[in-house]
Amino acid sequence: MTLSHAHGDPVKPARVVVLGAGGFLGRRMLTACAAAGAEAAGLGSRDLDLTDPEAGAQLARLLRPRDVLVFLAALTPDKGRDSATLMRNLAMGRAVCEATRTVELAQLIYASSDAVYSFATALINEETPAIPTDLYGAMHRTRELMLAAEAKAPLAVLRLTAVYGADDTHNSYGPNRFARQALKDGRIALFGNGEETRDHLYVDDAVDLILKTIMRGSIGVLNLVTGRSESFRAVADLVAAQSGRNVEVVPSARQHPATHRHFDVTNLIRAFPGMCFKPLADGLAATVGAIRG
Amino acid sequence: MKPTVGFAGMTHLGLVSAAAVAGQGLKVVCFDSDQALVDRLARQQWPVLEPGLDELIRSNGARQHFTAATGDLAACDVIYVAPDVPTDDQGRSDVTDLTALIHDAVAAMNREAVMVVLSQVPPGYTRTLGVLPPERLYYQVETLVFGQAVERAMKPERTIVGCADPARPLDPRLRAVLAAFGCPILPMRYESAELAKISINCCLVASIAVANTLAELCERIGADWSEIAPALKLDRRIGPHAYLAPGLGIAGGNLERDLATVQRFADSRGTEAGIVAAWLRNSRYRRDWPLRQLQERVRGADPVIGVLGVTYKENTHSTKNSPAVALIKALTGYRLASFDPVVRASTEWHPRLTVADDPLAACDSADAVAIMTPWPLFRTLEPADLARRMRGRVVIDPFAMLDRAAAAAAGLEHVVLGAPLPGDQQ
Repeated sequence: MTLSHAHGDPVKPARVVVLGAGGFLGRRMLTACAAAGAEAAGLGSRDLDLTDPEAGAQLARLLRPRDVLVFLAALTPDKGRDSATLMRNLAMGRAVCEATRTVELAQLIYASSDAVYSFATALINEETPAIPTDLYGAMHRTRELMLAAEAKAPLAVLRLTAVYGADDTHNSYGPNRFARQALKDGRIALFGNGEETRDHLYVDDAVDLILKTIMRGSIGVLNLVTGRSESFRAVADLVAAQSGRNVEVVPSARQHPATHRHFDVTNLIRAFPGMCFKPLADGLAATVGAIRG
Repeated sequence: MKPTVGFAGMTHLGLVSAAAVAGQGLKVVCFDSDQALVDRLARQQWPVLEPGLDELIRSNGARQHFTAATGDLAACDVIYVAPDVPTDDQGRSDVTDLTALIHDAVAAMNREAVMVVLSQVPPGYTRTLGVLPPERLYYQVETLVFGQAVERAMKPERTIVGCADPARPLDPRLRAVLAAFGCPILPMRYESAELAKISINCCLVASIAVANTLAELCERIGADWSEIAPALKLDRRIGPHAYLAPGLGIAGGNLERDLATVQRFADSRGTEAGIVAAWLRNSRYRRDWPLRQLQERVRGADPVIGVLGVTYKENTHSTKNSPAVALIKALTGYRLASFDPVVRASTEWHPRLTVADDPLAACDSADAVAIMTPWPLFRTLEPADLARRMRGRVVIDPFAMLDRAAAAAAGLEHVVLGAPLPGDQQ
């Protein structure tokens, strides 16, 4: 099921509550809500440990009826790729399910990941079977199923591709790491020659799409992607060019076959006509500029 | 003595098929229970647009008689039952009206006449009818192609006839009707004939899917499908009439119905038909090619899009599963102006849609124009005229209706299926 809208025209929510407000995307969400004039509250792991067995009840006490709950919280692969991390992430999902059974929410938005898809399909859309190939993808897919089965709220599942932008605290392979390497070391290290192609979504575009989903009261599944994939080599070259210094892009011996990921963006265009994504070169320039300070 | 032929059901298939039989010099009784429709037909007002249909029926004169009286079928030696069979959004046929009409015709026909079911039916339908002795009941594969129906009905490549027992000779009166067309006659079991029609359409869809898949690759790697397709057609294994023109997926309802039938039977019988799902996925994906191109290329506040053509193909009035209508419905954030030579676009499809009286008027001040149906009229458009009337420069022209060199000379960003995409760096 792709996304469908409850509201023909945008409607401001009573309140937006962001779970994972201390993270890269969460902070931007709160800023964007404020800019849009929407009341928002953020909950980070310091405010509420969603892995706690009592977290569901605690979260319910913090929520109000008609809130929109944006579930961004997750332990990302840099925090662990093992089954223990998986189980902690699932515990967070269970807590959210429990809370929604106590408080009647206007909408629940789950920030999933394109990791729910395998690399077997050349061109992915929302109808592509979600068959994850690692525990991180399995975690997101399991949470999706948990929320669909047990959460008592209109549910929108947004599967985000790799999000980049200034203030990204993660250091996974991609634009932000490349920018830091370029500015700090004057060199960008690639796996192989960076042949893998990926879709890269600028953080402001991701936040804009989540806000649109809130304002339209949308339910269903949508991939948050731009529809244009570039190789890591191309990204590295763009970052190097934006860095303002002489940066060496350094290939390495390839350890694994290159994989590619492309998205059919038709359903997103249908859901949000006229959506204009920030061009990759512009997004990378903004990212490099912000990291440079 | 020449047999008299009856046709029951005067919609697209029945009307064209009856006209073709009358065009071979046979007397034809055209029955429909809708008196108002019969009155319109008698006044030579045809419910469908088909090139050559008007001329053919007029030349048939008194040989082709329209009636709303079932009793008139009693004079016929061979009775074709040929109403169009409606399909739903999933491509499923509803044979309720067809079955009722067959029973009405059986009640009216004389005891010696034979019946031919011409409407497309799912495999197994004819044998289970049980309305006539097997030797008096046939199924014949229809070859209706919207926009080319008269030509194909008058000059069929072959006639496929489903029989209860193909080892028995065809009824001589039916053979006389078929022989008038001078093409090979292929008798076979009912079930084979019913599946033959579906098989033909699956082969066509396979060709379309191949063309669309490789045309998209052309767009991305700088190749041009218009250069490749002629080479394929000279290959004896593919042939000069192969469906190799890239398009916006399959539409019109008939091909979709056959694919749905194959999927349904494969599902119930446990046969592998994953390729059909792939064809359908490819079709839906290519249908939305203009939408993706517009989203990629049109910027600015409150853009205006001109849409030329709303029917699913040229020379037809049908908008069933039309890519143009799908595009119009998807462009909710835009203002639209449309033009079609035959069908007036509906504001139910889009609240900010205006209908122009000519193609250039639909291009006035447009930020982009999409030529969605390959009506011959659109080939006469001069790119320079479009450029003068438009505000923007983007012309989405899937079927290359505009001369590509002239479009480039006029400064248009001319986007054609299967050709390298303007401005694409991949």
